[in-house]
This record gives sequence, structure tokens and C-alpha cells, in this order.
Amino acid sequence: MAGPLRRHLNVWNGVLLLSFAVIFIGVLYPMFFIFRASFVSPETGGWSLESYRAIFQYPFYLRCLKNSLFVSVLATALSMLIGVPFAFFLSRYEIPGKNVIKTLATLPLILPTFIGAEAWLLLAGRNGLFFNLFQKAGIEIPSIYGWKGIVLVFTLQFFPYIFLMVSAAINSIDRSLEEAATNLGAGRLRVFFTVTVPVVTPAVLSGALIVFYLCIENFGVPILIGEDFRVLSVQAYNEFISEMGGNPAMAGALSTVLLVITMGLTILQKYWVERKSYAMSAVRRPEVARAGRLPTLLMWLFCAGIVFVALFPFAVVMISSVTKTSGPVMYYGQFSLDNFIRAFTIAPRPIVNSFFLATVSTLVGIVFGLLVSYLLVRRRGKLSYLLDALVMLPLAIAGTVQGIALAATYNTGFIVLTGTWMILALAYFIRKVPFSIKTTSSLLEQIDKSVEEASINLGVPPFRSFLKVVVPTMLPGIVAGAIIMWVTTLAELSSTIVLYYGPWATMTVEIFQRMGSGEFGPASAYATILIVSVLVPLFFLQRYLGRDLTTAL
Amino acid sequence: MKVVLKGISKIFGKLRAVDGVSLEIEDGDFFTLLGPSGCGKTTLLRVIAGFYPPDEGEVYFGERLMNDVPPHRRETGMVFQNYALFPHLNVRENIAYGLRVRKVPDGEMDARIGDVIRSVRLDGLEKRFPGQLSGGQQQRVALARALVISPQILLMDEPLSNLDAKLRVAMREEIRRIQKDLRITTIYVTHDQEEAMAVSDRIAILNLGKLEQLGAPDEIYFNPCSRFAAEFMGGSNILELTALGYDEASSRLRAESGGEPLTLCIPRPAGERICLSVRPEWVRIVEDGGDDTIEGTVESTTFLGALVRYRVRALGGQSLMIEVHNPRSRDIRREGDPIRFRFDAERLVMLGN
Repeated sequence: MAGPLRRHLNVWNGVLLLSFAVIFIGVLYPMFFIFRASFVSPETGGWSLESYRAIFQYPFYLRCLKNSLFVSVLATALSMLIGVPFAFFLSRYEIPGKNVIKTLATLPLILPTFIGAEAWLLLAGRNGLFFNLFQKAGIEIPSIYGWKGIVLVFTLQFFPYIFLMVSAAINSIDRSLEEAATNLGAGRLRVFFTVTVPVVTPAVLSGALIVFYLCIENFGVPILIGEDFRVLSVQAYNEFISEMGGNPAMAGALSTVLLVITMGLTILQKYWVERKSYAMSAVRRPEVARAGRLPTLLMWLFCAGIVFVALFPFAVVMISSVTKTSGPVMYYGQFSLDNFIRAFTIAPRPIVNSFFLATVSTLVGIVFGLLVSYLLVRRRGKLSYLLDALVMLPLAIAGTVQGIALAATYNTGFIVLTGTWMILALAYFIRKVPFSIKTTSSLLEQIDKSVEEASINLGVPPFRSFLKVVVPTMLPGIVAGAIIMWVTTLAELSSTIVLYYGPWATMTVEIFQRMGSGEFGPASAYATILIVSVLVPLFFLQRYLGRDLTTAL
Repeated sequence: MKVVLKGISKIFGKLRAVDGVSLEIEDGDFFTLLGPSGCGKTTLLRVIAGFYPPDEGEVYFGERLMNDVPPHRRETGMVFQNYALFPHLNVRENIAYGLRVRKVPDGEMDARIGDVIRSVRLDGLEKRFPGQLSGGQQQRVALARALVISPQILLMDEPLSNLDAKLRVAMREEIRRIQKDLRITTIYVTHDQEEAMAVSDRIAILNLGKLEQLGAPDEIYFNPCSRFAAEFMGGSNILELTALGYDEASSRLRAESGGEPLTLCIPRPAGERICLSVRPEWVRIVEDGGDDTIEGTVESTTFLGALVRYRVRALGGQSLMIEVHNPRSRDIRREGDPIRFRFDAERLVMLGN
């Protein structure tokens, strides 16, 4: 007889238990740990609100908060200003080369932001290509350092989010909607402002929230290009990392402030914006109009121009990598492979590390993601709802905060991971697994439960039926998800910088450090390897699996 | 294989989806679970397949208690409502799936697949993938996949509901033919009473999780035991009467109907409430008045070619359905016309509730 115990002793309850354990170790406990640390006084060791008082009292910390909000608001506004017309032109008008423009416009999403920052330093920083050119010509160009550079890089890297979301919204308006308005007597402008704009607005807001979130949690760009312009994530890192007088309470408090902001944004996104979506499946897509010659040319110039400005810096990085250098001085026009030879022969370790860590965390991530997705989609229960909320939690935590939390928690005590490669793999896994779960869950929802039951009915036990029938059906999607996980893990900097130690430096750390010490040549070589490692799999993804990265974001 | 259910209940939260159903299905029977959506018929089928453990009661296949046998060991072949074909396998591989699990040798496998493919008429489509098949072809693959393992029991969950009306009729005849050839015990779920009558040896009508009536299609049609069974199996007029007085000599009962009194041939004490079912095609239209004729007004006329259907108001405002088969054009009555008709006392069926 199946006793109540035997009923609970199955694979899936084991998976459920394991999932909660993983989330507790990887997310909940570390978050609790720094939260608690933020209430400990650095002087007395007792409970206190000192750190929080300091943040809201001292102009220095308060300015970090204000700076973070300032660049994020500005970059979000500019992204909207660019992304909305960009989407509208490309969706509604015949523009030459629009497919190429669309594809290229999604690339900044996957190219690491801190390489964007590096690229602009190579172009317009002190000793930068343009900087030198303009200086020779006696023209003063505005400094790239500080908030201007941060906002510039953020805008160029994040506007595609707005573009993609707004495009999707525009294309989901059935033609009949606008026709109905016209039929009721509205003129073209009236239709646009009373129908098109309101229907698209939730998508714009949703995209804006995402961009705002990405700006405020970003670490690589402000630390590379911000110089004295400190933002929250950078200051939290500084407080945590400085060997002398490192202040864990202050790092914890700054992390908590950042956490409250990112959590708030995520909740807002989930409960407010998602509900206000008018998504419908358009039976007839809106008409693609042919504008006059001059308007078409202007629209083309706008779209192609933006894409060029967003991608050209990455080309400069690649050119720099094969240019003769000595320290920060670049001899543009003189070809040399020295940077690559050095990277591959003398210091190949970061490359190996990056590939190894990305591969390990991706493999673990897809297996875990698949099992958890199954629990969430097929075995709904009170516990799986809780699991659903918990596994998505890392999406609302800034990388720097996650890194600080993990490093602080597993430095001493029961489990010591700080200083091993495993803590990096754990951080990557935790950070990227929500994406894996999202993709596999939506795939799983498309496969009817009866397909599995048919297999069980034909004599295959449940778990084997899952492996034999469900997994093969989902395979293309799983591979696509794995590729996205792999490339985004390769490009991870914000938690890596906190968690790595000597021999486990990754390519991203190497690029960051070489930029810091003015070795532009080697930095560009690693950056180029990283860019190629990211773009090649994505090319195959698009070519052979018929998917692009937009499906996974 | 005989199937016996003893007091099966399945409870979801507060809902008793299946509520104390007991029934026996004879070996080789084509047995249909019939009822409206939400009556528990699919739940009961899934209990038999083993996908839901029953909360109460026992499931026997032959003499064997099946409650603790997991679904993959039950040796049933199931055809799902949406077919549930494996999208990554072609037709042949879909059909071979269950044979591979049973480690059937290659030679025998080829023979069995060949047989079943011929029997469901899928010749030439072996290499196609499910996405490349029409609804009817997918249905055949699902049936072949379930049959090829020579199951003891064939389970079918609304297998025809995704097909268009014409194909539905053709497929149900084919299913019945194959079932008769193989003499396989079949449990069939449907909400379509015509389909149920066309294919079944016996039918169980389910309502709100409970077994309402069990019997051969004609038994249920001519002798529905309840108002629900009468209305669900074919259309029916339900009359609520009060017994006036029974005359022993003529064995006739006078009953009050709200309009003209009716004469019945059942003994009932005076004052008792009586519920009767009259099929619309059993009502006879008469030209002139007489004993036991009833007068009413035509409310609507629906002409359907082979028959004409009237909705009539009579017996103190009750609404009745009357069908006349092989109507003649000049006899058709229009809205507002007076109409006179009578019930055949022999064909009035008394209902339990």
C-alpha cells in the first residue's frame, strides 16, 4: 500500500527541497546576512542605525544616492526619446535596410556595458583617439568623464529595450483598431493620439522601468568612466573592498538602500505595468507605410545614425586590439598582434577561467532551470508558488549587492566559499537561472500535459517520460536559453569584481584592471575576445535555431 | 478485460468531481461515460487510467485491484482529446513508442505497426510529423498508438471533439468497426448523446459526479429514470401533474395538469405529484377535438426538412416541444396558429425526480 510517506517520496519533492535549499544558500541567507550587518555599529559592534543615519546625513553618501538617481532618470529619458521614434519608424514605415538595422540595434543589449564605457574612453578619454585629433585641431570637446559619459553609454546600450518593447506593442495593434477609429470619424492625427499612443504607452513605461533598473544597478560603466562622480553601486563596492578601514556595515547599508530601490522597481514592474498591458494577438498587423523621399531619408539617417553611434565604439575596441600600443598610448595605423599573443601565451588564464565558469554555471543552470520549471508549470501547489517568487528574486538584486552579500556571508563560518571558484559559479548560476526558468517555463506551458500522460499510459514511468518526451520537444529552446545564459555570464562584471581572487580573475576583471592601469592594448585584446565569444554563439543561435536574443530577454 | 468500479469518489478541494460511482463494464463492451461538461466523466476515466488516485473506492481490472498500480503499469491504451502526439517523433515513431518500451523485437514490431497502420488507414504517412497531419489523421495516429500495444482496455477521452461534424460521424463508425474487430473493452467519454447512442453497447449517464442511469442506449432513451436523463438523452418534454383519481376498472388515472386533465395508465393515489417525460416525436397532432386532446398555440415553428419542430404553449402556460416527421407543406402551422394534439398514454414515461 502507498502510505502517505511513500506518496511524498518522489523525485519531484526531492527537487522541491533541493530548490529551496539552493535559494536559501544562494540568495536568502546572504541577503539577510548583509541586511543584519548594516545594523551593526562599526565602532562598538552593537546594534545601531549609524550607517543609515550616515547615508542620509553626510552629503558624501547622500550625493551617491542623488547621483545614481540623476544618471538613471536622465539615461531613461534619453533612451525613451531615442527608442520610441526608432521603434515607430521601423515598424510603421518602409525604410531601406530595416532588417539589418533592427538586427544591429539589438546588439548593444548583449554587448557588455563596461566595454561600451571602455570604448568611449578609447575614443574620447584623455589620450583617446578623438580627444587627440580634436586637440590637435585646437577644438575643446566636452569631457567624457563623470555623469555625461555614464549617461551617454547607458543611453546607447539600453535604448534597444525601449525599441523592442514598443515595436512589439505597435505590431500587436490590430489594424482594425485604427480602422475603427477612422470609421468613427477620427482624422489621422486624432487616431494616432487617441488610439495608437494610449495602446503603446504601457510598453513604453514598462521598457522605461527596465532601463531605469539597469542603469541604477550598473557598476561597470560608472566605475570606469565616472571617476569622482560616485554612484551607489560603486560606493558600496568601495566600502566593502578597501583593505584598510573597509566598512561592512556601511557596505551593507548602501547595499540595502540599493536593494530597496531595485526591489521596488521590480514590484512596480510586476504589479503595475504588467497589468496595464493591452497585448492582443494582432490578426492583421498594422500597415507599413511608404513615406516621401525626404522623410524616408531623415528616418533612415536617424535610425542608422543611432545604430552606428552605438556600435562604432565596439569597432574601435576591436581595432585597438590589433594596434601597436605602449601603456595608454595607442599608435593607430600601426598594426600589431602583440596584444593577442600576450593574452593567449603569457596570460591565458582569465580566458580559460571565463569559459570554465560560464560553462559550469550554464550547465548547472539549465538542469536546475528545467527541473524548477517543471515544478512551477506542472506540479502547482502552495510551495511551488512560493518557489516561483523566490527563484525570480535575483532579478531584483544588483550584481554588486549580490557579490558583496555572498562574499561577506561565506567568508567565515559553516561554509567557506569566498576565495574559491565555486562562489563565482554560484553567483553566476543564481544570477542567470531566472532567465533559464523563464524560457523553459514558457516552453513547457506550450506542451500539453497529455503528451506526457500519453507516454506514461504507454508504459514509461513519469520521470522517464519527462526525459523522453518533454525534454526532446523543448531541446531547441533549452539550447537557445543555454546560449543566452552562457554569453551573459561571460560578460558579467559587477559581482565578479567583488568575488574573484587572484588566480580566478576572469576576462571581465582583466579588462577592468588593465583599463584602470592604462594598459589599453591588452584590455582591448581581452575585450575583443569577449565580444567575439558573445557574438559567435548568438550568430549560430539566430542562424540555426531561428531565434534571436530578444526571445530570451 | 472486465472493469469494475466500486464506490469511486474523487475530490478536488471541496468539489466531489466523482461521487460514489459503482459500475461494471463487461469484457469486450463498448462502454460510454456520457454527461455535460463538469459531470466528472473525464475525471472518472483518468481514475481508471491511473492518473488520479481515487479518494474513495476501488478500481478492478478483472479480479485485480488496481488502486496502487501506477498508470504506466496498467496496460491501458488511451486516446486523448487533443491526441497528445509526440511532436518530435514522426507517425511511425509515435506508434512504435509503446512497443519500444515493451522491448518488442524488430521483426514483430514492423509487423504490428504495419497491421495497425493498415487498420486505421494511415498507409503512406509513416514519415510525416504530427504538425504535417490533418486533424483526422492525427486522430488515427493517436488511435493506432493506443491500439498497437494490444491494451487490455482502450480509453478514449472525447476523441472526436476536435473534428468537424462530417469527419466526426465517419470516425465514430471507424472506431466502432475497429473495436468490434478487436473485441477490446473500450471506455469512451463524450458529451454528445447522439455519438454515444451511435457507438455504445452500454452508456452511463453522469451528472454532478454521480451515476444517473446505466443501460443500453435504447433502454435509456425509452425509459429514462430521471428528468436529467430524459432531457440529456434526446430532447424531452417534462410534465408536472397532480393525480386526481385512479379508476380500477379501466386502470386509468386522471391527472391535473394546469389545463385539460390528462389520462394516464399508472396507479397513483390521489393528490400525488407526478413527473412525466414525453419525447417531442411522440406527441400526435390531431385535427378535431375529442377525449384527451389538448389545445394550444404555436409559439414558433422551425422547419428542418425531414421534420418540423413546434414550440407550443398549452396546459396552462407550459411550453412543449412537438416534432412532426415527414411533414407535408400544407400541414405546417405558423406562429400564432391554434394547434390540437394528444399524448399516447402508453408512451408517457414516469420519472423518479
